[in-house]
Amino acid sequence: MLFNSIDFAVFLPTVFILYWFAANKNLKFQNLLIVAASYLFYGWWDWRFLILILLSTIVDYSIGLGLSKEKNKSKRKTLIFISILLNLGFLGFFKYYNFFQNNLIAAFTSLGIELNPRSLNIILPVGISFYTFQNLSYTIDVYKEKLEPTTDFIAFSAFVCFFPQLVAGPIERATNLLPQFHTKREFDYSKAVDGLRQILWGLFKKMVIADNCAEYANLIFNNSADYSGSVLLLGALFFAFQIYGDFSGYSDIAIGTARLFGFDLMRNFAFPYFSRDIAEFWRRWHISLSSWFRDYLYIPLGGNKGDTWMKIRNIFIIFIVSGFWHGANWTFIIWGALNAIYFLPLLLLNRNRKNLVIVAQGKYFPTIKEIFDIGVTFSLTVLAWIFFRAENVSHAISILVEIFSKSLFTMPYFEGWDNASAIKILIPLFIFIEWSGRENQYAIERLGLNWPRPVRWAFYSFIIFSIGMFMQTTETPFIYFQF
Amino acid sequence: MKNFIKSILLFISFSIVVYLLLIIFWGNYIPGEYKKNLNYEIGSNGHMYSRLQNIKDVNNVDILFLGSSHAYRGFDPRIFNRYGLNTFNLGSSAQTPTQTEILLKRYLDEINPKLIIYEVYPATFLSDGVESSLDIIANDRNDFESIRMALTQNHIKVYNTLIYGFYRDIFRTNINYKEEIVKGDDTYIEGGFVEKKLQYFEPTEFDEEAWYIKDQQLKAFEKALLLIKKRNIPCILVQAPITQAKYRSFSNNGEFDDIIEKYGAYYNFNELIELNDELHFYNSHHLNQNGVEIFNTKLIEMLFVKKESTNAQ
Repeated sequence: MLFNSIDFAVFLPTVFILYWFAANKNLKFQNLLIVAASYLFYGWWDWRFLILILLSTIVDYSIGLGLSKEKNKSKRKTLIFISILLNLGFLGFFKYYNFFQNNLIAAFTSLGIELNPRSLNIILPVGISFYTFQNLSYTIDVYKEKLEPTTDFIAFSAFVCFFPQLVAGPIERATNLLPQFHTKREFDYSKAVDGLRQILWGLFKKMVIADNCAEYANLIFNNSADYSGSVLLLGALFFAFQIYGDFSGYSDIAIGTARLFGFDLMRNFAFPYFSRDIAEFWRRWHISLSSWFRDYLYIPLGGNKGDTWMKIRNIFIIFIVSGFWHGANWTFIIWGALNAIYFLPLLLLNRNRKNLVIVAQGKYFPTIKEIFDIGVTFSLTVLAWIFFRAENVSHAISILVEIFSKSLFTMPYFEGWDNASAIKILIPLFIFIEWSGRENQYAIERLGLNWPRPVRWAFYSFIIFSIGMFMQTTETPFIYFQF
Repeated sequence: MKNFIKSILLFISFSIVVYLLLIIFWGNYIPGEYKKNLNYEIGSNGHMYSRLQNIKDVNNVDILFLGSSHAYRGFDPRIFNRYGLNTFNLGSSAQTPTQTEILLKRYLDEINPKLIIYEVYPATFLSDGVESSLDIIANDRNDFESIRMALTQNHIKVYNTLIYGFYRDIFRTNINYKEEIVKGDDTYIEGGFVEKKLQYFEPTEFDEEAWYIKDQQLKAFEKALLLIKKRNIPCILVQAPITQAKYRSFSNNGEFDDIIEKYGAYYNFNELIELNDELHFYNSHHLNQNGVEIFNTKLIEMLFVKKESTNAQ
């Protein structure tokens, strides 16, 4: 079930009413309803995926209980090893089997050896990368004794399959989300209203900004051989706004939906395109994944401790693994490596924690230097997105070669450019609103709160109208669902 | 919680009013390129406005034609007149069975034809019907059937355009509108036909593809036929010719014919007459006036033969 579908527009109010009117008497009912609704939500794609998520829930719940009872260090190690092996095993099989098989065949073929292995038609279960990592955070935290294992199977199931963030995050930490399933939720008016506001802004980002940018990004990337460097650069810019609008829009809808049910999910985006360096960008982009890798991979590897080579090794590992997490394609690996290259100088010069607060805090405008830094960071990011979006590595390279040619200095023109008037206005308007609200959790969190109610409501209604006027007429899935 | 529900209901009501007002404002004052999901074009392609104005003077015709542009560009009332047949053409751009059903509900009793010739172009059975709905909303009066059509279509562009259409109807803003008889290469001919200035098709190759039929359109087709049947009006289903290059690019023409034949007398003129792609068409799937002449004459001959054989029986 997509957040931007009629199905979800019926599903959400129905579950909301049942949750607060029928199941509000006791915690067990609340959690049970969340599990039932989440299974319905997830099974809407393909009921067979439910078996996998149920299996994953049972395994990690049991391992959590096992870890709580077991004091023997080596047995505890075995248990956590089993959890990691099973979780990553599921993920590896469903997501990476074909990738490894194809690369193995290619490697052997280059050596003159023909391989004819059985090919499997594996369907990637939606959201597997997200809930696998969330489950791992639970067993690892229990293993490290940062968290008491839960004995409430329903609460744990609800933690694993909580529908707002099940398919594309934010990847929650058990330490943050699980305790919320152990406490009865009480309805909070302002929290619910804030949730709705965040959902509205998320829908605008997805349906107006991302989907309209996607139209042009797809056109340009899918016919890249026909276009000049300037048009290809424009395509990369469209993709930059598409992926930001799409994924941060999804996260806003997820966080807002969770707030309607009384939950606080972690923040996933913090205006990343206003970052002044790549380190800041990675503190603001897909925060739940970046911090997951930081806590469960980077720090255990030694983090920024040790000699220079160790630091370089760790940075490359975390970025390449992060790239590979996105998909079984060399393009994602190169995207990750490229970001590692961007990041390294900052780390080695000890300047990676220079920009910790949002740019131009308390001011209307940034300084010239800040504008320059934001511009450089954004440009680097856009170039890296080319690998993320391209079909394969040679496609990405051909685009980059054209961008860094004389044709970059031609006037960009492609079929449909003259009809792109709306997006030419919508993107600057979107940047303006994001800039105005950059000190908040999301752009319109506090926008208009001091205005008279009719004016504020008219503003929200205008956002709804913009969605109705500019949305794509076919349902478009979120990009991160494929991961 | 009660306050929350109350506020939500209040906001929804407020928002609906603002949405309606903004649609009116947008429709009236904002340039076309910023109206992605509002497409109200009175007097749009196909002279639908003139055709529907023309209907007021029409009743008790011999033949009523229905269908897409293949109908309003394919059945020329002047040719039928030569044979003493009084006809009216109610074809419209990309008319799918969904819109045919609505037009029949609105006009069938008024026109009261003795025979209906329903042009069944396979593409209209796989279309979502949005283009045709917008054409009808902008050029015809809107009523409860328009709402039903929008709900069937469930498309944001149809909803927005219908809201604006209702506003235009209620405030009678189209009352002074006059559609040009000649628009570019098109000339409107009394009786619903649109004549294209004589042009010729330049042959090209088409990729192989296949027709498929949407359930929603097939159901609407059945409903439209039922409306006709209830009034005991004989109906002939016809597929107007398209270029052979285009026609042969579809691998399952026979399958389509098999489906349509189940619904009554059906003639696929792609198989019945020989036309030349370069001489008798102005594009891959529209006849030019030379082609219309041959097609209509053949159809009339067949109608007379059919009539004679019926009389003989």
